[in-house]
Amino acid sequence: MAATSQLPAFARTIFHVDMDAFFVSVEELFDPSLKGKAVVVGGQRHERGVVSAASYEARKFGVHSALPLRTAAKLCPHAIFVDGHPERYRECSGKVFKVLAAFSPQVEMASIDEAYLDMTGTARLHGPPLKAAHKLHHRMKEDTQLNCSIGIGSSRLIAKVSSAQAKPNGVLWIVPGQESQFLAPLDVRAIPGVGKVMESHLHELGIKKVGDLARLEESELKERFGKWGLALAGKARGEDSGGWFDTEVGADTEAKSISHEHTYNEDTADATQLEATLMRLSEMVARRLREAKLHARTIQLKLRYKDFTTITRAHTLPAPTQLDGEIFEQTRALFRKNWKPGREVRLLGVQASSFEAQAEQINLLEGGRQQRWKDALAAADRLRDKFGESSVKLATGLRGTFRERTHENPAGLPGKGKSK
Amino acid sequence: MPVEAAVAVETMEITVSKVELLRELTATQGVVERKTTIPILSNYLFEAGDGELRLTATDLDLSLRTSCSAKVKKEGSCTIPARKLHDYVKLLPDADITIKLLENHWVSIRCGRSNTKMVGMAKSNFPSLPVFPTAGVVKIPGKVLRGLIGRTYFAISSEESRYTLNGALMLLKPESITMVATDGHRLAHCERSGEKFEGVSGELKTLVPKKCMDELKSLLDSTDAETVEFAKDESTLFFRIGSRLLTSRQLTGQFPNFEAVLPKDNSKSITLNNSDFNSAIQRVAQFADERSRAVRLKLEKGEVKISASSTEAGESEDSIEAPYDGETMTIGFNAVYLVDFLKAAGTSDVRLELKDSQSAGQLRPAEGDDYKYRYIVMPMRI
Repeated sequence: MAATSQLPAFARTIFHVDMDAFFVSVEELFDPSLKGKAVVVGGQRHERGVVSAASYEARKFGVHSALPLRTAAKLCPHAIFVDGHPERYRECSGKVFKVLAAFSPQVEMASIDEAYLDMTGTARLHGPPLKAAHKLHHRMKEDTQLNCSIGIGSSRLIAKVSSAQAKPNGVLWIVPGQESQFLAPLDVRAIPGVGKVMESHLHELGIKKVGDLARLEESELKERFGKWGLALAGKARGEDSGGWFDTEVGADTEAKSISHEHTYNEDTADATQLEATLMRLSEMVARRLREAKLHARTIQLKLRYKDFTTITRAHTLPAPTQLDGEIFEQTRALFRKNWKPGREVRLLGVQASSFEAQAEQINLLEGGRQQRWKDALAAADRLRDKFGESSVKLATGLRGTFRERTHENPAGLPGKGKSK
Repeated sequence: MPVEAAVAVETMEITVSKVELLRELTATQGVVERKTTIPILSNYLFEAGDGELRLTATDLDLSLRTSCSAKVKKEGSCTIPARKLHDYVKLLPDADITIKLLENHWVSIRCGRSNTKMVGMAKSNFPSLPVFPTAGVVKIPGKVLRGLIGRTYFAISSEESRYTLNGALMLLKPESITMVATDGHRLAHCERSGEKFEGVSGELKTLVPKKCMDELKSLLDSTDAETVEFAKDESTLFFRIGSRLLTSRQLTGQFPNFEAVLPKDNSKSITLNNSDFNSAIQRVAQFADERSRAVRLKLEKGEVKISASSTEAGESEDSIEAPYDGETMTIGFNAVYLVDFLKAAGTSDVRLELKDSQSAGQLRPAEGDDYKYRYIVMPMRI
């Protein structure tokens, strides 16, 4: 297509920085003996749950994230299984962000281990894109001892796709104007947003490569796939389209919700155990609310039974809160109202949303108690900051203690807050 | 018809005046179950005998029994869909209506040249209802009870999880009756003394559920009866108003210790004209944040400034002249909470008593108050 080789009026330079095997690399920092071995992060081989991350050596055996741990153990019996340490990842992710923030004011952490940087107009400061990328790559290694791959392009999409091509530990710059040429030989699956289902639809039409897609008329794609087809046409040319990447890098998208979930190793119908888990989850949600300086008005319970039937029930409070006890009280009420006693539960989740910056209305009956809780929890938070997340817990939640699973996409990341 | 068969077949046939029937149907609509999970609860139970028709409606939390005079041709009983019957009877001419039970729980309703058959249900499905106790009945003047309810009902919490706040506390003593309601943000308290309550010794504490309060309010508004007969057993509250009997499931649990939150040293006091204050708040509140409804009161020498602002709507200020010579102070309140009180106070002047911007404020009628009405409202951080 002729149009694509035309440079946009203001060519933009977007970096996509993706940490290489992030969780595994972080674990290696803490235990260097893991280096070069097949490592699976997420839990022990016999446990229920899924792989959070796998080292490149383990990936050779077909292990990938989201695979059940037990399956991973079958595929790669000699792999070393380690528990995830979310607090370590958060800490390292923070360091990564610091490095990135020194290079551009427009940084958006897309998840805990990847980020977009808008580097447009930084040439005088950091030099041309490739030079800047090498500088960043070097600085990252120096400051965090972690490897990353950097994709550079005129759109987020190109940056993202090229960083995947650059892996591991590489830098790839798609020179403006070469976008469609770069994309053409890649599988359609390489386009962010094209999943299994879309891929098979496209394959049915004989479209295997991005180049095949780019050769199709926009109108035909639109007819077949609607709005998403139109977006796909744009993507095939290397443009950010279709709502996926529409926002500016680092544009202020505020967090809409904060949530924590737990999947049991063994399904349970033990009410005490279940409520203890809810307490623990409420505690974690409240802690994050306080970190983000938010008060939530809506509290939601997620309940998944053994047979995977899942219900979510929400309640809106008369006044917003960020207190563990108040969140727990709501979650427990929702739980007691909706759980069928005796039915085994697989997963529980607590979500807070409808944020307000301040709880404005002072409570008449609980005012003093609320203030005391506020003070006590603030003190607990300081202890946690200093000694780790498990240093202070509410007693009800003690029986609900579990290892926090590793989220790749937590809320509250710098420049990006939308939680999934 | 053979005698045996006559016993087996249920009968009922009556004639009632449309106006009388409609009056009772209207009075009971609030108690009919709105959800249709238990179909029988959307029905009235009609029982005919002794020259009257007795109507019963219940949603299991509340029940209301009432009656109207009727020419009873055949004694008996039946059930009829409540809402449909009410809607239909409203449309009938003001004449006599004949109601007759047919086979299979169908009910025939005839009025003049109008003829309708409605589908009822077996009356055996209708829940049995608590019986008015024979002892421990307390007579409360209807006007007093209505006065207490009108000053408190709006402060009841509708937050389901705050179970014990879902009702008002009614406190009967031999010579006084007190009613308190709170939702945790404001508290309405009133007390009527100089009454005589026979049969009450010490203190009789009762939590009256919100729904019951609402129903009592409308029953008291549509009655000529001067006294309400109140009684309770372990699980049920009974209020007899004239020929109508309202029962309510009791709220159990501990009402919060409200006495502890009644302010004692609110020394900054200012008297305001009720309607001026009310209109000023309503005007200004148009520009308050839609969610928090926060308005700011600034007490200054000789005046009170009321203001609100929001990023969407803009800002607005009103000022009222008022005798005040204390130190200047600013405090935020939810406008809705203030207006609720001003509407209920019913006096031309009200007094606002404050301590500081973080402590509870108190509002009271400034004069002519037979209810020792006090309204405590927590400020907002502004």
